[in-house]
Amino acid sequence: MSSGRPSRGETMTTGARASKPRALVVRRHHLLVRISHWLNIPLLLGLILSGISIYWASPIFQHPPNPTTGNFDYFADAGIWICAHIPWLHHYADPANWVYNHGSLGPSMLAFALRFHWLCTYLFMLNGLVYLVGLCIGAGWRSLLPRLSDARGVLQMVRHYLSLPYVILARRRQIHPSFWTKYNPLQRLAYFTVAIAGFLAVATGWAIHKPAQLSWLTAIFGGFDNARVWHFWLMVFFMVFVIPHVVLVIADGWDTLCSMVTGWAIKFRRPEVSDHEL
Amino acid sequence: MSFKKIGAEEKSSKRPSLLKKFQGVFSERPVEPIEVEPSILRRWTRRDLLLFGAGALATLAVGGSQLPRELLQQLGLAESGTTGPENKWLLNQALRLDDNLATALYSQHHLVPTYSKSQITLLKNNYNGATPDPGYIPGWRLTLGGLSSGWTVSLDIEGLLARHQIHDQITRLVCVEGWSAIAWWSGLRFDDLLQAYPPVSQAKWALLESSVNLDANGNPDPYFVSIDLLTAQHPQTLLATHLNGKPLPVEHGAPLRLLAPMKLGLKNIKAITRISYTKDEPPDYWEKRGYSAYDGI
Repeated sequence: MSSGRPSRGETMTTGARASKPRALVVRRHHLLVRISHWLNIPLLLGLILSGISIYWASPIFQHPPNPTTGNFDYFADAGIWICAHIPWLHHYADPANWVYNHGSLGPSMLAFALRFHWLCTYLFMLNGLVYLVGLCIGAGWRSLLPRLSDARGVLQMVRHYLSLPYVILARRRQIHPSFWTKYNPLQRLAYFTVAIAGFLAVATGWAIHKPAQLSWLTAIFGGFDNARVWHFWLMVFFMVFVIPHVVLVIADGWDTLCSMVTGWAIKFRRPEVSDHEL
Repeated sequence: MSFKKIGAEEKSSKRPSLLKKFQGVFSERPVEPIEVEPSILRRWTRRDLLLFGAGALATLAVGGSQLPRELLQQLGLAESGTTGPENKWLLNQALRLDDNLATALYSQHHLVPTYSKSQITLLKNNYNGATPDPGYIPGWRLTLGGLSSGWTVSLDIEGLLARHQIHDQITRLVCVEGWSAIAWWSGLRFDDLLQAYPPVSQAKWALLESSVNLDANGNPDPYFVSIDLLTAQHPQTLLATHLNGKPLPVEHGAPLRLLAPMKLGLKNIKAITRISYTKDEPPDYWEKRGYSAYDGI
């Protein structure tokens, strides 16, 4: 999602090489970073689906039981509401489990969901290490570190995105704020935060999984029950992160998406390279 | 001074050089464009897309093969009525790895957190089936097998209470489902029973059974758990006789239950009627139903 006008790489750099058409590309993502990026999709999907199946066994967020149905789970309420309000779901057999039937591996399969969760967890942790190694040997970590000086740019980007709906509706033009860096400050903050969230999701997971042997870790998150709440909201964070992430990569174009597969991009800002060429 | 190119950091050039050096390490480097032949770009793309597609298909196939058959049928990916063993190899490996890690994390010297009386929470009756009729309590006996003496010992609750020191502890019982409860338990240490009636020398495991356990319809459904002797010897592993200072009620396993707070609740068997020590790992009620055999938390 590099910002600004693309600079197509077919520029001739020196006269000597002018005879042959050449393409200029920049390396964007190390191979290990790319692999771990895409593996996150099946792993997070598996973790979330099995996680909600585990949640079903003992929902964290409960209300006093409904006097007629005895129901105390907000997800069950949501399922009942959906089946009552969507015409073709009026005759759905098990409205209280609608959310679990559609947003998890299914209700009443705790043993399987736990094993599936462990499988995805160990692979997710391994994947996190692969990502860190890729960031280090590809030197991509510098582009991801947020800086205090980013604050202004973050606000600029937020204002840009918030005013976009109006700009589009009013058929006006708005210039994308320009930055010289690989990522704009908002991207940098988002990617850094999602990496930290991945770490916290693993840490809270262990705090729930081993509250006796790792009691110090459980204490950091405010005890067993609070660690479960943390773990839940971190899942929500991943789900929310994905929406703008996918929308913006599509909006930014094929080159940005391809760079996460091939590793290089043909779209980059000239000033990113200027001190080598001037 | 390549990092000077990064617009926002130009201001920092006036700062002391030490800070500048520090910033230099963290500063983003300018990108270095490489010249490539345009045709190579296309070839790379095709190769990468092929590899990418193959990787995605492999991931889907491996992940999908581990899903239970009912789920695949629901998704329309498997024919209904197909039989034969399901492929659980990866899932079993993950569970074994997790159990090995839990075993490695376990330490007899690490005490689980204890709480004050004001932190005690409500403890629900979580008998998996029906709660047994309390009629078994007056005639209850605890049978010990697999002892070094070669004898089978039968004990009553008065004898156990009279012979052993009673310890109090307020600990958290964590259920595999995700809920937990803090309760005040009292009882004798499992380790004291092991000292009084030593198991056979090669024993590594204890099989704890409850013959009074019932299924949901009220039919006999003996419950049994495996406990490794290292866990049994932990100072906080109790054979609990009291809850909140009163003798255990029937719904919490009168007159004697296991309280191993470093294990999930499902290992904390109620109304123990028999303990046998074994060399090999004994069966476990919930392991047969797809849960971990170790259940250390």
